[in-house]
Amino acid sequence: MIGKRTITGRIGFALAVLLLVSFSLLPFAQILSTSLKHQYDWGNPSLIPQTINLDAYKELLGLTEAKKVEIPAAIQKILNNPKLPQDKKDAIAAKYMSNDNLFPFGKYMLNSVIFSVGAATFSLVFSVMGAYSISRLRFKGQVVIQRSVLFVYMVGGVLLMVPLYQMAMNIGLASSLWGSAFCLFLIYIVQTLPVGMYMLGNYFRGIPFALEEAAMMDGCSRKEAIIKVVLPLSLPMLATVFIYCFIIGWNEYLFASVFLKQYPEFHTLPLALQELFVSKNAIWDRIMAASMLTLAPIVICFLFASRFMKGGKTDGGVKG
Amino acid sequence: MTPLERAEAKFGWKLVAPTILILGLLILYPLMYNVYLSFFDVQLNGYKTFVGFENYMKLLSNTDYYSAIGTTSLYLLGTVVGTTLLGLAMALLLKEPFKGRGLVNAAIMLPYVAPVISVVFGWQFLFDPISGVVNYLFVDVLGVWSERTNLIGNPDSALWVVVLFDIWKHAPIAYLLILSKLVSISGDQYEAAAIDGYGPVGRFFHVTLPELYFVLATVVLLRLIWNLNRFEDVYLLAPNVQTLPIFTYYQAFTGVIDQGLAAATSVIQLAVLSVFIWFYIKKIMKW
Repeated sequence: MIGKRTITGRIGFALAVLLLVSFSLLPFAQILSTSLKHQYDWGNPSLIPQTINLDAYKELLGLTEAKKVEIPAAIQKILNNPKLPQDKKDAIAAKYMSNDNLFPFGKYMLNSVIFSVGAATFSLVFSVMGAYSISRLRFKGQVVIQRSVLFVYMVGGVLLMVPLYQMAMNIGLASSLWGSAFCLFLIYIVQTLPVGMYMLGNYFRGIPFALEEAAMMDGCSRKEAIIKVVLPLSLPMLATVFIYCFIIGWNEYLFASVFLKQYPEFHTLPLALQELFVSKNAIWDRIMAASMLTLAPIVICFLFASRFMKGGKTDGGVKG
Repeated sequence: MTPLERAEAKFGWKLVAPTILILGLLILYPLMYNVYLSFFDVQLNGYKTFVGFENYMKLLSNTDYYSAIGTTSLYLLGTVVGTTLLGLAMALLLKEPFKGRGLVNAAIMLPYVAPVISVVFGWQFLFDPISGVVNYLFVDVLGVWSERTNLIGNPDSALWVVVLFDIWKHAPIAYLLILSKLVSISGDQYEAAAIDGYGPVGRFFHVTLPELYFVLATVVLLRLIWNLNRFEDVYLLAPNVQTLPIFTYYQAFTGVIDQGLAAATSVIQLAVLSVFIWFYIKKIMKW
């Protein structure tokens, strides 16, 4: 549209692209910048910190040595009282020694990894099977299934939160820790399965049937033909679908909050970060460092997958 | 049916069975169960009493529900128009190959893939009344506003922050969809239009727009479908903006809990959503 041959046209084009990229990246730059700033520097509109402060990262990654907590003199007096039984003394001391500010980032990250990698794995296996079936095999009811998958894909989690919670309650899963975790795991599979099936189905349709036919003529069964011919040809797409499902699980907040809110030890990163933010010991540099560390795996995955993402992502309804 | 066809059908069902089972049990059944729940007074612990249409009556006489509908409509209008226009502008701008296009593409896709929970904090900081750059820009540099304001703290202005956030996050998707159609328009059509005496603007309205009509309709419909159910992006950035999903969430899990009422809200919302999806499947997918 813009004449790029003239000098003004070129400058205008470059400025427009620069503006667009800045708009896209500004919030990321802000997160990175604030995570590295000292508190006195927060109000400074410049994105470049006056001095680099890595404390927030060190704290989150557990690199700081445990601080010796001072016990107030009055409490020390009580502790020195010989009449007090030893176990009571220990209890009081523990109360003052424990570090309430500690945010076990590593544990939350591990929870997030387990939920999203696990769900993405199951989802990938089921969607390979299902997508192959509806895109390659002919049987009655195939079209109905195809449409239902698309429909289900577009139904948002908000419409399901009440009935799913009540179902989990009815069979007694929602009232125990492991039951809730199990429910959440199943829900993540369900949330990602239709997307996976949809993307893979479109991809499988593009693989020439003659290849499988040739394999079957050579004496392979259909199953072997899928494993030896179709899957190796689909590897980039399989990786993309896996990463896509992983990202959905990693970013999910709604169901994690419905099922896991009362079990802090199972919190995933989105839930933990939100809890940290609303708790009053939220400190911007810590929040931003945690955001940065939550972002990092996704950005890496995305850069890795973006080479393959061109085809599959634009076909029809992309989630989001 | 030949034996071979029968074997194929059997194999097909076998492969798709786990999927049908899971999706049926955890999506289709809950949707129906939701309708059932909407006729009950439902406690958080699962205790239910039948109340007939009372939840619906309560909902229809609740002014908060109507204000949630109003907020949702504004949210949909703002995000659909904004995302489509920005996506179109991006596609037109980046249509021709240039040096570094891959990097630019990666940069503008980043908002779409990044976890909501991380980027909302960046946005919150940008709009922070004390340290935020937005207030610095409009108050101290440009002098447009007379004093620093907490844009996210006030539900009326927060709605527009949330709309801007959604445009920022989802314009890349609109861009990808529009771009893939845009690059397929043949150069001949532009030449023909140029011979007919159309300038760049005329060519845009007589060649580009008619060709893009279908894909623009797709973008609009998809934005409506996804944004009607949008929860995280709104709730995590500005929990005081009560669109329908947030309204439902508050009813179901916070304060005075009324899960039956939340179920009734979801049933009505599903009905509206189904119309959009039906339209999408019939008109866009042409199934």
